[in-house]
Amino acid sequence: MFSFTKEQSVFEVSGVCFGGQPGMYPTVVFGGAFFKGEPDFEDAKKHLQTMLDLSKQTGTPAIPDFFIRKVEYIEPIIHFIDSVLPRKHPFSVDIIEPSLKVETLECLNKRKLLSRTIYNSIHIGITKEEKEALQNYTPAMAIIVAFNPKDKSPDGKIEVLENGAHLTDVGLLEISRKVGIENILVDSAALAPGENSGAALAAIPVIKEEYGLPTGCAIHNVVEKSRWLHDFPFAKKTVDVASNSGIPLFGGDYVIFGPLENAQLVIPLIAWQDILVSEYTENYFGVTPVASHPRRKLLK
Amino acid sequence: MIGSYPVQIEPMDVMHGYFEEKDVSWEPYIKKAVSDMLSAGIDVVSDGQTRDPFIQLFTRRLGGCRIRDRTEIMGNVEFTGSITVDDQRFVKQLLPRKKQLLGVLTGPFTLMKSSVDLFYHDEKKLCFDFAAALRKEAEELQKHVDMISIDEPFFSNELPEYAEELIGTITKQLSCPVRLHVCGDVARIVPRLVGMPVDILSHEFKASAHLLELFREYSASKKICLGSVRSDDARVESVEDIVAHIKKAQDIFGDHLVQIAPDCGQRLLPVQVAYQKLKHLVLAGEIINGR
Repeated sequence: MFSFTKEQSVFEVSGVCFGGQPGMYPTVVFGGAFFKGEPDFEDAKKHLQTMLDLSKQTGTPAIPDFFIRKVEYIEPIIHFIDSVLPRKHPFSVDIIEPSLKVETLECLNKRKLLSRTIYNSIHIGITKEEKEALQNYTPAMAIIVAFNPKDKSPDGKIEVLENGAHLTDVGLLEISRKVGIENILVDSAALAPGENSGAALAAIPVIKEEYGLPTGCAIHNVVEKSRWLHDFPFAKKTVDVASNSGIPLFGGDYVIFGPLENAQLVIPLIAWQDILVSEYTENYFGVTPVASHPRRKLLK
Repeated sequence: MIGSYPVQIEPMDVMHGYFEEKDVSWEPYIKKAVSDMLSAGIDVVSDGQTRDPFIQLFTRRLGGCRIRDRTEIMGNVEFTGSITVDDQRFVKQLLPRKKQLLGVLTGPFTLMKSSVDLFYHDEKKLCFDFAAALRKEAEELQKHVDMISIDEPFFSNELPEYAEELIGTITKQLSCPVRLHVCGDVARIVPRLVGMPVDILSHEFKASAHLLELFREYSASKKICLGSVRSDDARVESVEDIVAHIKKAQDIFGDHLVQIAPDCGQRLLPVQVAYQKLKHLVLAGEIINGR
């Protein structure tokens, strides 16, 4: 547990804050919906409610991350967001194909939802059309994936943020700022075991010390990719959930933990970890947790 | 070839690999570069240096270096494992029997001058540590390639008094021929260049045609790779123009003229232009060789 010498930015979207020194703001968790492609709205509604209830109970902010994989899903998913999610609650849209991203941004703009939108994500594959769409329909916040295929170490992640590793004309941070996004979350890009998987965690303090930006990742993806764990079916779920605790321990600000239904396991874990970090950082560094922090909420 | 060839990298393809949790392979890009060279009829083929610009290609894999906006030297520069050998082995599989493979090393002086030194504060010491690391790469590389080319563009701006010793650190007793490529205007340093411990000298004779006369006095000293199409100009030279240029060089170098090539790496040219220049180069070579 530590504190950064670099001043740490705090970004807010629709009432949820990201960043700051470890122990100040609670770790934000993202739970994913519609991984499989075709949306199951009833199932999502149920798990979403559970996640929001747990968030309220613990003080750990929770944001749904909606996967959009086909053009025909854009309208119904955005309708779901608009009608089911509490008014003003932030959400993220998680899209791979650039053309789908452009259409989704247009749709979010029509529905006046951009002020609650976290765009997941900007990366080296950004196209000219996507940049134009982001300029015209700018979301409140964006996640930048610091994946550098040339160098998977923390240095490589810094390189792609700084200059694009010669895969983009300028660095990903500059690209984001040029399209008008100042509220940036850095994703330290978790990779498979054997691909420097530990670098995703090690990069968190490196990125925060370099830029002072809120940083996190989807470390549970490493568990998904650990084939040897298939031989330990009872342990796999525990490892998947537990992997998320490494992020606040390394000074990270948010956790992308996988399917919404894991919220019941992940949120209390993250709240517990945040309390642990906060107790030390307040005692040693004098970092006072905000009123909504799990330590204030759960330790009476 | 001199080294680089302009292959368009598709970052979205790379990101698909990331999102779909598949290995990201660089081989399709290397294959595209090699395929263009072979299709143009090039005899001495490189891997195209598609992975990175020629500085980062090496400093990314050397100990003591980290890459920020430029390469930063943070500790002792050390060889930590082969840098280009895997790519060269892959290219070797793609080549027909009569084609030759060129291994390319970015020279130690150029690596030093392109880096921000936060550790040594001694240019010469840093240069020789780069050279020692490149020597280990060359020892590995010579088992797989037909020739090694050392790329030292910074020599044309500044030739250190220890340049010959520096290059010799890499080339001493290598089993394959070694070429030294120095682009830019080398007019001031021709007498030093011909004394370098290498087999072949390669320069930008097309962009700096006045060099031909300057080399006349030393024409029997070294074998020559003649830069014959420009790498800094997107206009494609005609075959006749290239033939005339080669004949002028033959007049000076005679049998010592052993290779014709682009003036420099082709990274900055549009790919269609780079390809067309290679085709014209090959056609000109065939005319000269009476094929």
